[in-house]
Order: sequence, then structure tokens, then C-alpha cells
Amino acid sequence: MSMRVVIAEDAAIFRDGLTGLLADRGHEVVAAVSSGTDLVNAVAEHHPDVAVVDIRMPPTFTDEGLKAAIAIRTGHPDVGVLMFSQYIETRYATQLLGHNSAGVGYLLKDRVADTSEFVDALTRVAAGGTALDPEVVTQLLATGNHGQALDETLTRRENQVLALMAEGRSNAAIAATLVVGEGAVEKHVANIFAKLGLPSSHHDNRRVLAVLRYLQG
Amino acid sequence: MSSAATAQAPQTTRSAGHQVARTILRAPISRRTWTDLLYAVADFPLALIGFVFAVATFAAGVALALTFIGLPLLAASGLAGRRFAGVHRALARKVLHERISGPRPFESSPGILGWLQAALRDAPSWRARAYLVLKFPLAYLTLGGAAFIWAQGVLCVTWPIWWWAGWEAVFVRPDINLGSWPRMLLVVLVGVLCLLAAPWIVRGLVWLDCALMRGLLSSSGSDRVRQLEVARAQVVDDSATTLRRIERDLHDGTQAQLATLAMTLGQAKEKLERRTNVPYDPDGALDLVDAAHRHAKEALVELRDIARGIHPPALDVGLDAALATLVARSAVPAVLNAEIPVRPAKAIETIAYFTVAELLANVTKHSRARHATVEVSEHEDILRLIVSDDGIGGARPGGGSGLLGLTERVRAVDGQLQVTSPPGGPTVITIELPLHA
Repeated sequence: MSMRVVIAEDAAIFRDGLTGLLADRGHEVVAAVSSGTDLVNAVAEHHPDVAVVDIRMPPTFTDEGLKAAIAIRTGHPDVGVLMFSQYIETRYATQLLGHNSAGVGYLLKDRVADTSEFVDALTRVAAGGTALDPEVVTQLLATGNHGQALDETLTRRENQVLALMAEGRSNAAIAATLVVGEGAVEKHVANIFAKLGLPSSHHDNRRVLAVLRYLQG
Repeated sequence: MSSAATAQAPQTTRSAGHQVARTILRAPISRRTWTDLLYAVADFPLALIGFVFAVATFAAGVALALTFIGLPLLAASGLAGRRFAGVHRALARKVLHERISGPRPFESSPGILGWLQAALRDAPSWRARAYLVLKFPLAYLTLGGAAFIWAQGVLCVTWPIWWWAGWEAVFVRPDINLGSWPRMLLVVLVGVLCLLAAPWIVRGLVWLDCALMRGLLSSSGSDRVRQLEVARAQVVDDSATTLRRIERDLHDGTQAQLATLAMTLGQAKEKLERRTNVPYDPDGALDLVDAAHRHAKEALVELRDIARGIHPPALDVGLDAALATLVARSAVPAVLNAEIPVRPAKAIETIAYFTVAELLANVTKHSRARHATVEVSEHEDILRLIVSDDGIGGARPGGGSGLLGLTERVRAVDGQLQVTSPPGGPTVITIELPLHA
């Protein structure tokens, strides 16, 4: 499936590299801009499948990208937004996710080193899924109000499964990562939902949503 | 080894004795003696004007205290007194190289009444007027004493000539006979003693004046605390700004380059891995590796520039070496003359380096100069840096050139920065730093 992508990134070298990479994989970069305002305009004009957004951009180099991303989520809910940053800020993650994690991603820029995984994550976000950096998940789990309660309620294995779920992974992917059978993962997931009092579902997206809702209290 | 040391000891004592004798004999023709005299002469008119001003405005202010203009007159007189004090300090610095740091600038409160109250309560301006009043008798004594004793000495030493020319009656009463050889010799001896004593008398009086200035015109203890507080805040601000700048440089430059490098290599790797989702493409991979190679080299250059911005490696060798590199890299052709016999403290070297770096950047950005010069010299524990250019001039602190920040940074180590930049140029910026902070 070929995606139509808008890129917002102020470092020209990285913007060009990203454009080249996506073109190489048969995706179409319809616009590559370098500021938050240009991004919102480009999304309104081209209506892409997904926008790749650097958080720090001119003029203030703080969170222009985040503001633009939130504006896009409000104005064009069907456009996926992948936030891209050198650092992970937990607050940015919770602000972007709001109460809906569909079509949202937040990755460290380092992740482009593993090209295929990055393109997979982008595809997932474009299709309305979620892609959270393991770093984001770790921080959310550590800083969430329920961090301690979770540690007490869930076993170590269940915690690992929860973290992988939060990254947006399927049961099959979790099983491969933890080197266990898929059946075992399904059992852990069922236990987690039971312990957290959440109804089980096979849809990745709703699982992440549930986890994040829980983490955000 | 020990015998050599004992053999040398008496010689050292003798040479110390020689040293004292030499100093005494050479005093009348030493440079210091003439600068003292120059100071006594140049300072006198200033002292006279200052005295008249201080006494007149104080008397008028007190006499009119019950009217509307009395108190404002006293206040204005105090602020003008501060200016006078500044001129006295500048003269002492220029002629005697005596550095007396002034009190903090006058801080007004809002409103006319606020200004009046602040000015009347301003201790430095009262001290400045006290100095002006005391200064005049001292300046009078210094100039008069210097003139008298030097004239007396010269006259006595040359007495045989006057006597021979038959002009002795001009100087002495007719009933005193100084014509005989023993008496003439005595007069000449008195003259020699006068000439030998004159430098020390003038120096003593000038020293007294400097002590008076230090007592009344320099910053008081509480001023000093305040100055240090401001300096500390400046230093903290400065380092925070520097860290932010470095982070920004790393983020925008090196990190973006390295991320791109990683991305390109990742792409190349997948083209060689014979994966299911990426076609095998060695030529494409080679192109990508080529691009990655280029990115890596660019990142190295950028990283080196950033590292140099944090601490130039040449500074470890010495300030002159670091400044030579800096001057060689200047966009406006620049030359360096550096005489640094005693190596300053590391912190001072760093401040000197970055100050010159910023001034040269200013030359490039604002001056439209064709040539710039950096001179570095040392005088009695002071490191002096002069950055000059033949540009359009008109540089002033607060004009967006960063000069204000530089002044503050230099002041943080008790240094001074002076700007001379008339419209049309040339611009000369002099920085004086203590050798050891």
C-alpha cells in the first residue's frame, strides 16, 4: 500500500534523507516543510494519509510541532500523525494522545536507523493504528500515577507484555519478542485485562487505548 | 652546592644595597617621577574647578533649601560630583595607571520625588563632593610643593653659573654673601639634596591623593557586594545561555546529521540483506553508503566546530596560540601582536579569548572594516587586549552588538572594557583584565 506523506522537519539534511527513504519504498511525499504553520497548511491542502512531524521547529524551537500535531488531530482526525523527536517528553506524549490513540505515533528519531521497522510504524499510524517508542512506554509506565499499583498487581511478565502492548504490537509480535508461544501471550493479555478490569478485545488499537487510559488515570 | 650558595650570599646583599642606591640616585630622572609631576600639573585645574563647584553648589543648595530649587540643586550637584569623581579616577588611571573601581551607577527611583530622594540619599555622590573639597588643598600643596622644591634644587645646583654671570642679586639679599667657594659648594650640595628628595616628596603627596580616592571614590563594601551579586547573576546567565546554544547546535547540526547517517546506512543494509520486502540492490546500496560517508564527514566538521566553541584546544597551549588561530580564521583580515610574558590564569585566558572572538565577529558583522588588529600586552598584573578596526565606527554598548554583555562578563572578574568608536571610525576597544581572577 502506497502512502501519501507530509514531512515537517527543519533540519534540511534529515528532511531530504527521509524523503529519499520513503520514495525508495514506493511512498509519495506530497510536501516537505520546515515549520508548524506550513505543516498545518500542507495537511489542509494535500490531505495526506500521514504526517511526520518534528517537535522542535522554528521560530521558538520548543513544541511547535506538537501544537501543529494537535491542530491536525482536531481538524483532520483521519490523518495519521507521527511525532518525531530527538528526545522523549512524557508530557508531549500524553498531550498528543489525549483520549484517543488512533492514528498516533511518537518515536525517537534514532528509530529511522532500522528502516523497515520505521516504515512499518508509519504504515501502522497511517492505517489508524498506534506506534509508541519503547522509551515513551517506559516513561509512561514509570511516571504514571499507577506505576506502583501496577508493579504490585501485575507479574513481571505481565508488565513486559503490557509495555509491548502499549507500543502498539500485536500478540504475534509480542510472542516473537519475548520468545514464547502466542497462546501464552493471549493468556497474559487476558490476565492483564482481568486484573485491570478492562474488557478484552482483539483489536490492537483498542488495547493500546485501554492501556493508555489506565496509565493516564 | 651549599658552598656555592654561601659564597653568593654576601654578593646578593651588596647588590641589594646597590639597588637601593641606584633607585635613590636615579629617582630624579625616572619615568615615574615625571608621570607624578604630569599628574600634579594636569590635576590642579581640575581640582580647582571641582572645589569651586562643590562649595558653591553646596552653599547655594543649603541657602535655598527652603525654596523649590534648593534640594534639586543639592541633588544635581551630587550627581555632577560623581562625574567629577569619574574624571579624577580616569586621570589617575591614564597618567598613574592607578586603577580605582568606581561605585555602582546612580539608581533613580520612579518620579521626580523618587529621583530627588534617591539622589540626596546617594552616598557615593556625597563622598565625591567630600573628595572635591579635600582634593583642592592637597592638589595645591602637591603642585606648589613640587614647583618649589624642583625650582630650589635646580637653582642651587646651578648656583656657580648664576654667581659667575653676576645675577646672584636677583635671588638673594645683598647682605648675604654666598660667593666664597666653600659656601658655594654648600649651596650646590643643598641643591643636590633637594633634587634627590623632590621625587619622593611629590610621590608621597600623589600617594596620599590616591589613598584619598580609594577611600572616597571607590566602591564601598556594600557597593562591592552588590557589584558581585550582579556579576554572579551575569555569570550564571551567561553559562546557561552558553549551554542552551551548545545544545541547539548539537540538536540542529550533529544529531540531525547522525540520525540521517544511521537512516542511510540502515537503508543500505536492507538493500544488501536479500529481505522479502526490500529488493536486493548492491548498486543502490553503494550510492547510499557513499551518501552516508559524506554525512559522516560533515558531522565531524560540525562537531569539531562545536567543540572549539566550547573550549578551543589551542588555549591549552597558550592565549597567544589560541588568538593566532582565531585571528587567522577571521573573515576580515586581522593581525595579532601579542606580548604575554606571564601566563594569566586559565579563567582569564578563556574570558580574553571569547571576548576577542566576539569582538572580531562584531568587526565582521557590523564594522565594514578592511583590517583589524588585536594587540595583547601585560602591565603590572594587568592583561590588556586592544581590538581595533578601520571600519565605520559608531559601536556603542547596548546597540545590539553584544558589547553590554561583554562589558558585564569582563566586569565579573573585575576587568574593564572601554569603547572608542566615533561615527566614521576607527573603532578601538580596550579590555583590561587582572592576570589572576
